[in-house]
Amino acid sequence: MASEPIVRVENLSVALDGAGSARPILTDIGFDVMPRAVLGIIGESGSGKTVLSNALVNWIHPPLRVTSGRVLYQGRDLLALPEADMARLRGREIAYIGSNPTIALDPTIPVGHQIVEKLREVKPGISREAARRRVIETLDAVRIPSAARRFDEYPFQFSGGMMQRAMIVDALVSNPKLLIADNITQPLDVTVAAQIIRLLRDLQREFETSIVFISTALGVVSDIADNVLVVNAGRIVERQPAVTLTAAPEHAYTRQLIAKVPRLWAAAETPEPTRSADVVLEVRDVERTYVVPDRTRLFGENCVRAVRGVSFDVRRGESFGLIGESGCGKSTLSRLLSSVEQPDKGSIKVEGRDIAGLKGKPLLEMRRRFQLLLQDPYNAIAAHASIGRTIEEPLRIHGLASGAALRSRVRDVMAEVGLSPDLYDRLPIGLSAGQRQRMNIARALILEPSLMILDETLSALDQVEQARLLALFETLQQRHGITYLYISHDLAMVRRVCARIGVMYLGRIVELDDNQTIFEAPRHPYTRTLLSSILTVEPKPFRPETYLLEGEPPDPIHIPGGCSFRTRCPFAFARCATDDPMLIADATGNGAACHLDPGQLPPPTPIPATTAGRAAPNA
Amino acid sequence: MTDISHSAPPRSRSVAQRILLGAWASLEMKIAVFVFAALAILTVVAPFIIDASATKITVGDRFLPPIFMEGGRYPYFLGTDQLGRDLLLRSLIGLRNAFAIGLVSVVIMFAIGCAIGIYSGYRGGWIDVILMRITDVQMSIPVVILAITILGMSRPNAFSVIAVLVLASWPIYARVARSVTLAERQQEYVRAAKILGASDLRIMALHIAPSILPSIAFVAVLDIARMMIFEAIFGFIGIGIQPPTPTFGTIISAGTQYLLNAWWITIVPGFLLALALTSLNLMGGVLERSRNLVLQGQF
Repeated sequence: MASEPIVRVENLSVALDGAGSARPILTDIGFDVMPRAVLGIIGESGSGKTVLSNALVNWIHPPLRVTSGRVLYQGRDLLALPEADMARLRGREIAYIGSNPTIALDPTIPVGHQIVEKLREVKPGISREAARRRVIETLDAVRIPSAARRFDEYPFQFSGGMMQRAMIVDALVSNPKLLIADNITQPLDVTVAAQIIRLLRDLQREFETSIVFISTALGVVSDIADNVLVVNAGRIVERQPAVTLTAAPEHAYTRQLIAKVPRLWAAAETPEPTRSADVVLEVRDVERTYVVPDRTRLFGENCVRAVRGVSFDVRRGESFGLIGESGCGKSTLSRLLSSVEQPDKGSIKVEGRDIAGLKGKPLLEMRRRFQLLLQDPYNAIAAHASIGRTIEEPLRIHGLASGAALRSRVRDVMAEVGLSPDLYDRLPIGLSAGQRQRMNIARALILEPSLMILDETLSALDQVEQARLLALFETLQQRHGITYLYISHDLAMVRRVCARIGVMYLGRIVELDDNQTIFEAPRHPYTRTLLSSILTVEPKPFRPETYLLEGEPPDPIHIPGGCSFRTRCPFAFARCATDDPMLIADATGNGAACHLDPGQLPPPTPIPATTAGRAAPNA
Repeated sequence: MTDISHSAPPRSRSVAQRILLGAWASLEMKIAVFVFAALAILTVVAPFIIDASATKITVGDRFLPPIFMEGGRYPYFLGTDQLGRDLLLRSLIGLRNAFAIGLVSVVIMFAIGCAIGIYSGYRGGWIDVILMRITDVQMSIPVVILAITILGMSRPNAFSVIAVLVLASWPIYARVARSVTLAERQQEYVRAAKILGASDLRIMALHIAPSILPSIAFVAVLDIARMMIFEAIFGFIGIGIQPPTPTFGTIISAGTQYLLNAWWITIVPGFLLALALTSLNLMGGVLERSRNLVLQGQF
């Protein structure tokens, strides 16, 4: 390329000043970002990606310190620039979007007003009216529905996906030359993440912005970027065009990364089909409705129909998966299944005994049979109790052990989940998310349950730690015969471990099938929409062009009549608006709630077998 | 001796130990502890080594100034009052009584207030509404009015003073504990305990209380000082513990009549009270800071 790079990073090194010694975080980083190019940076968590993104906008604070190097932006060294000049560049020419849109917006000011404020700060000449028009236009451009009305709404009225779009508007409204996007799709559902990526690509063309796109997910980066840098332990280990990176990785670390990306189709690892017919968990017609005050009326109330008649069986020793986007009722269902809340209707039988409505001592006894692992490894563990004390608690509650026996039992379980028993008297502070999740597992495992419900248990962890814990779950399953119910939005993980899968949409199971049917020939259009939106390194049998629709699921207060998916379904026809399709189970208990036969849906694109690939065997 | 791997490792320092050690590291804490300990030791030892009386009236020794001033004499180190009683001894006894009343009343109001607050916040619903309206009513009555009503109608003693202080201040603890509990019960670890099968009582006592009470307890240390001031105010307006038992309030209130020619009668107890309160407040502040550091993993 003949043109000058917009950003050139030369020998950048950053160190963390510690007691006595400085630990290098970034070592000798150098790269160029060309105008109108998208540079992807990929690395595992802890590889220094975020520090790098901060260094690009001269946002390095003690104890971090730039030890050498330059960040040249159009010939000027940003690291040597006085803070006042830097502040002018930031936001005006260089924009930054982080992974957590909820804390980036001021909760007390309407979203549109915040963006107008920024625009007027950047372009002092612009009139209030013109600024407003421009922001609404840009909100429209990122496809926020009814942008003019949304302009005056507060951040809490926005969903996560919409907030991330608002952040993109906030970044793009000043027409920056460079956009730094640090892990922006991580907190989003697959369908929303796919929309955001597609949007970013369109906008990048329209606004002629260069983008530095940082992510842990190889699938996402290879989808959006022209060139990709692979960062490991603060060093660039490989740089390649995105198209060739996944096909021909050069560095061993990149091959490792690629090998770790779970495959959904080509050479996918799938679990053994369930053989057992013994039902551990039997859920029948479970419903749960919440009554919430309607904020638009003084005394009005709304019914949130979170779970609308869910039925399924989980068989002994299998891993069953429940998937769906956020807001589909997964979390409510997990609360019902773990008996923290009671269903309004229906029955939940654990090993033949209905736990809905069970109270007191019988419930306490049943609780030993099923355990729920929560998603957030930080909040699920109290900060004030030592690690051992926290794991002891279930034994104390159930009065199962005391004294030395208690302590040795806890130490056994800690060892089993891979926590050093030396941590017994330490506070959980300083433990990594993975270690905390192990604490959680130990706490559930110590009761020797027969069923474990994993509610997004692994979604806060990076892929490496996730893989380790999945392996741990497998070992525990073999050793103790535990049955797992995975509740997740992570399709790749479900593909790998769950023999049978239920797909939830707006409080219902719309399809219930075995692993192979769900991923290779799903019977419900929504399942196909989900699959089409996965960002991965392999060719997909379902193309976003055919299935991916704009918009987010309707909220569970205003559920469309007829088939609830019809408002987003590309194949909806007249009957869908009037008849609500029921899930009719076949002999094996599987089925889909759709008026169309699978034969009436477009056939899946065949997967070319050659591009498939685990890492080269000599890796 | 069956299995070596199960021998318990040495227990590392507990959280409480680390908080205390962390607090001790600061100079303020050392000064505060030193001053407080000196006052405490003096209170215990002084009656045995000072050859004077806190209660016996000696007309000939009236209005003697502190020993370092002209006219002061042994054994009246800090002078005498209008009835010839030793001011140092009287003030130390006043300090002892005030501290005992402050400590006991804070412990009781902390226990009652926090128990009600946690219960109210955790249970919610109509129980919460009723309990909180009770606190509203209680908090709308000024302390001094309440004290005059209760103490003025009977012969006040240490117990009735404590009762008034507890009655007046428990709602504050209840409200604070409730509001923290409201936030805390939403936490995932409370849900985790529920899933494990912990009873409500167990969750309140073993999960919520340990995580919220320490921060309230550090404020309570500061409240001891506030209660000591209230005790002095009651004494000053004549509804505290009655003479001849010396209290700060009675000494100071008598001294105000002689402020121009015998200022030490007011200043000496005032100074000792200020010294005690400052050291208490310092300790409370440093302990709280230390606890925050420990929970952030810095010690």
